[in-house]
Amino acid sequence: MTTGAVAGSAMTTPRRQRHGARRFWVRRLIELAVLLLGLTTLLFFLLRLAGDPAYVLAGQEATAEQVDAIRVEYGLDRPLLLQYGAYLGSLLRLDFGRSLTTGEPALAAVLTVLPATLLLAVLAMAFTLIVAVPLGAWIGFAPDRRMRRWAARGVFFLQGVPAFVVGLLLVQLFSVQLAWLPSVGHGSPANWILPVVSLAFFLVPKLTRVVAANVSEAMREDYVRVARASGAAPRELLYGYALPNALLAATALIGTQFAFLLSGTVIIEYIFAWPGVGWLLVEATQTLDFPVIQAVALIVGTLVYLVNTAADLVIVRLDPRISGADL
Amino acid sequence: MSAPHAHVERAAAQATLRASAYTPRIASAELLVGSTLAIAMVLLAVAGRTLELERATRIELAARFVRPGTSGYPLGADHLGRDLWCRAVEGLGWSLSCALVATLIAGLVGTILGVMAAEHGGRLRAVIAQCSNLVLALPGLVVAIAVIGILGQGYWTLVLTLGLLTWPVFARIVMAETASLLTRDYILAARLAGADSTRILLTHLLPGLRATLMVVFAFHFADMLIAESALSFLGIGAPVGTPTWGSMLADSRQYLFTAPWMLLVPGGAIVLAVVTVNLIGDGLAARSRRLARALEH
Repeated sequence: MTTGAVAGSAMTTPRRQRHGARRFWVRRLIELAVLLLGLTTLLFFLLRLAGDPAYVLAGQEATAEQVDAIRVEYGLDRPLLLQYGAYLGSLLRLDFGRSLTTGEPALAAVLTVLPATLLLAVLAMAFTLIVAVPLGAWIGFAPDRRMRRWAARGVFFLQGVPAFVVGLLLVQLFSVQLAWLPSVGHGSPANWILPVVSLAFFLVPKLTRVVAANVSEAMREDYVRVARASGAAPRELLYGYALPNALLAATALIGTQFAFLLSGTVIIEYIFAWPGVGWLLVEATQTLDFPVIQAVALIVGTLVYLVNTAADLVIVRLDPRISGADL
Repeated sequence: MSAPHAHVERAAAQATLRASAYTPRIASAELLVGSTLAIAMVLLAVAGRTLELERATRIELAARFVRPGTSGYPLGADHLGRDLWCRAVEGLGWSLSCALVATLIAGLVGTILGVMAAEHGGRLRAVIAQCSNLVLALPGLVVAIAVIGILGQGYWTLVLTLGLLTWPVFARIVMAETASLLTRDYILAARLAGADSTRILLTHLLPGLRATLMVVFAFHFADMLIAESALSFLGIGAPVGTPTWGSMLADSRQYLFTAPWMLLVPGGAIVLAVVTVNLIGDGLAARSRRLARALEH
């Protein structure tokens, strides 16, 4: 399978590549550190801006003595900068504090529910690809045909339907009216269908449009026209020439949209009572469980950053026109 | 490019134009439908605000779960007998105002930082670009929930959080566009004629950015509509008791069997609003694409 992009292979010496790779990782690590520092600093000062954090940390039903005890325990009677230093110090030791409702370490609470969220996100991403890539390729291959024009309009309309509304409608249709599928829980694969389909709705319309636009653009590129002129079959034009290039753009989109997808899990998990990170976060905000809120924000932030970095690496692999040093 | 090939070029460009998007033929229709719907919605929201629809919040237990179409209740009533049509109109006002202000905040911050980065270049540009990448890498809804969870609900908390978490969407595009505008001859000519940077910004840069900004504004507005209703659905956006589409959806969850219209009314309202704004955004994008190409040839 040859593509126009692969034909112009980049000439980089191994030595330069190694150098580029090291710079890449150093830069990424610094960026991640800055990201996490910024996020923790933001949350730290917001908590103090919102009022006396002792009340927040003590929970809603705490007595005055408990509040005072918390104030001493967390060192809230000390100057702000000292507090900030101590706070960063404990974060560096991966001590995120204890959940105010259950008393277990906040980090452990997040890590216990993380696999459920990852399962949901990965399944939704797989479903997105299975639907969006063929559909986008089909529309983009000949966008002016009547059926495909209507399909494109349908996709455009669906882009305006928020995924959580889709989730609620799917529950209404398949759990309430038809009683085919369960609406809550996550024990068996039957429980997975509705949450995964709903979550996939965050990305399917967008990805379909991107694939369609890229395929239809590639179909007009010179290398495809040359292949067509030299007698390649339509099927070969699509799979051998237009689609591989369109998928590069799709990969880039998937990388940057993973943050969006993980954000989406928050609301989908809440709808389907899926015991993941998002569900934990919403529960934590209802009781103002600050250590858990913070742990979720930091863990999800790190995760999204790592996935973005991985997507960049995949793109470098797939597209020889980009070298690691460019990132 | 030699002269004899000019007409071939133009023909090719026109052919490209014809096939460029899947919707170019209805591009102007999109704008027409979109703006008509948008004007109707704004009028409805303003009318709702001035009439102060007290039926949106008045509890009337005799009217619990009244079906849509019952006299006096065009869209039915909810579990407390509140009129869903009035609630939907009140929610419309809330949603439009939240999305508008959040988009304005993001647009203002993003445009200012984007223009600054492109004009000054160097270190400032690098810092702004890095900051916007970092903010973009955040899982927005998670951070928004954390921030609002800590600060407490409220209109300004909501719109400031949404706006300040999404300004890089504008900053990135403005930065790239401004950098390319700054290399144009007419800017150079203005500089040579002695125009200072404020004058160049106001009379040359901003008008040049207008088409792009309008498209980004429209799509961002749609995103903000969705984000606001999602947060209100989670009980984190609007203050408790405010009639919003998100809170109406949250109410509907316990009555899926008895009153499916409690789900369909706010759900339909969100979809209609977002599709309307997307129509405008898509129409504007198609128009500016065509304008850009027409100017090239």
